[in-house]
Amino acid sequence: MKLHELAAVVRSKNAGPFMVTIDVFFEDAESFERVRRAGVLDPAAVAAAYGVPESDVVGSFWEPRALGAKVTLRKRPSSNDMRCTDVFGAHQYLALAYADVD
Amino acid sequence: MSKGEVNGSAPDPVEPIKFLSFVTHIPHREDVDDSIARALEWGVDYIVAQGTGSDWGAHWLGSGTFPATDIAGNCRPYLKAAVEHKIPFVFSVGIAGGSVHLDASLKLLGDLCAREGWNLRVGVLDTEVDREELAGLIEGGVEVVQANRTEDLPEKLSAADARELLRTVALAGPEPIMELLADEELDGVITGRALDIALFMAPAMARGIPRAAAAHLGKALECAGLALSPPDSAEPVWAAVDSEGVTVRSPNPKLAATVRSIASHGFYERSDPTKEDNPGGRLDLSDCVYEPQADGALRITGAQWIDAPYTLLIEGAKLAGYRSLVILGARDPLLLGQWETWVEAMRQSVRDAPRFAHLVEGTDYRIAVRPYGVPDEVDPARPPRMESAFILDVVADDQDLASEIAYFGFIRLFIGPYPGRKSTAGNAAIPLMPVVIPTGAVYVFGAYHLLPTEQPGALFHSRKIDLATAVPA
Repeated sequence: MKLHELAAVVRSKNAGPFMVTIDVFFEDAESFERVRRAGVLDPAAVAAAYGVPESDVVGSFWEPRALGAKVTLRKRPSSNDMRCTDVFGAHQYLALAYADVD
Repeated sequence: MSKGEVNGSAPDPVEPIKFLSFVTHIPHREDVDDSIARALEWGVDYIVAQGTGSDWGAHWLGSGTFPATDIAGNCRPYLKAAVEHKIPFVFSVGIAGGSVHLDASLKLLGDLCAREGWNLRVGVLDTEVDREELAGLIEGGVEVVQANRTEDLPEKLSAADARELLRTVALAGPEPIMELLADEELDGVITGRALDIALFMAPAMARGIPRAAAAHLGKALECAGLALSPPDSAEPVWAAVDSEGVTVRSPNPKLAATVRSIASHGFYERSDPTKEDNPGGRLDLSDCVYEPQADGALRITGAQWIDAPYTLLIEGAKLAGYRSLVILGARDPLLLGQWETWVEAMRQSVRDAPRFAHLVEGTDYRIAVRPYGVPDEVDPARPPRMESAFILDVVADDQDLASEIAYFGFIRLFIGPYPGRKSTAGNAAIPLMPVVIPTGAVYVFGAYHLLPTEQPGALFHSRKIDLATAVPA
């Protein structure tokens, strides 16, 4: 199963010009826990999904009250780089959305 | 602006202070007047709205302009409430928030006040930073370090780096806004670039609310209705803050403050959902307790503030060059199967051209070809239904050179041969005339650094104006 099939929201946005952050929100605690257990947001898994070194993963977070999870990556090329294709970072969620859960 | 201070006595710090929040650059909803009327029934001590940000990168800061938004129209219903009910207000304006953005915004708001006959005496906080002053501080030994880890910027800003900046702002914290709020003559405060939560912290702290609760108020209200369910930053939000916490409520009954909406809001455009570094400390919301109230409001307590050395975030723009674009579309399977070598041949032609022989790629000019929608597998038996786009993107030291290189590159892409080609009259579809589109100056951040300071307002300039009649320079 793909992560987006278990999530209500999978989105990305800049957290400042030099970081991009991906948020995942779930409808229910069951899906939240299932994805949490699957480890897809672990730094190693995120680094593999995005094809970046693990040191580019700034942090991943689980917030049960929001039924939400977040992972933040260094943005390279950053929004300050003329090679940047996504100035707002709004289209960087797909690698995570299509990550395999289970 | 002594509202709430009764008989000259010091305000009771536990007495809730009530805020109404919106965003100055976002157009309001059609039913905004009803929402404001409902909030006024609950009581409003301050109207606070942010309108600055750097989500768009350095472009507006460098260009000195801002997106075409009707700031006067956005603010009108809220300013009307402020005038009619004598409610003090704190707004930040102008997106990038330099002097030029601030003054242009003040002019638009001033024209509105003149039309409406509103006489407002306003404290203006200009947060543009003089580059010589910044360079001087650095030469004097102040270490100005990267705010985020990046190879794009120097780890420490040098005086020479500072002098290269076209326009620089610092995000004001609550302290210089509090100074203006203390002036009884003023009806409100309007700032350039400021920390969003500082706009809320200033009035709350001026009335004795502890920094943790004041910052938490700001965190909940900074993007207005974005913290509600369903999230919508075009909607206002209301909150009462006291020493212990914040009670958030939606003035529009179509939206609600829920545990999830408020907890989720901490995620938006932030690297960490519960911890946020700010001037003078870190706001930590990880131990917050959420209690839904009978009236539909949400009570949140338990925010913590952990003191840290005071730093100002400095944002400075510099010129990176001038850009010209060409947009091409291609469907030929033969071309799509070898588009990378097609592009590389164009690049090499530019390098080899005698007219560009004196230029160094990567220094005097940069060429990027941005491909869109090229299929992973090209079917040699059938062209794809839609064209793939290739945007030729040239940045050079001046606009004419960028356009000249872009036109030269376009010709190579359009008629340049590639192995097996049969389309000898042209390789691609050109959707727009003119072929070369000059888009103007390109700005990047030359500074996104933290300046340590013990005087939070020392770099800024404040003044008092009559909004309706002042014609900003």
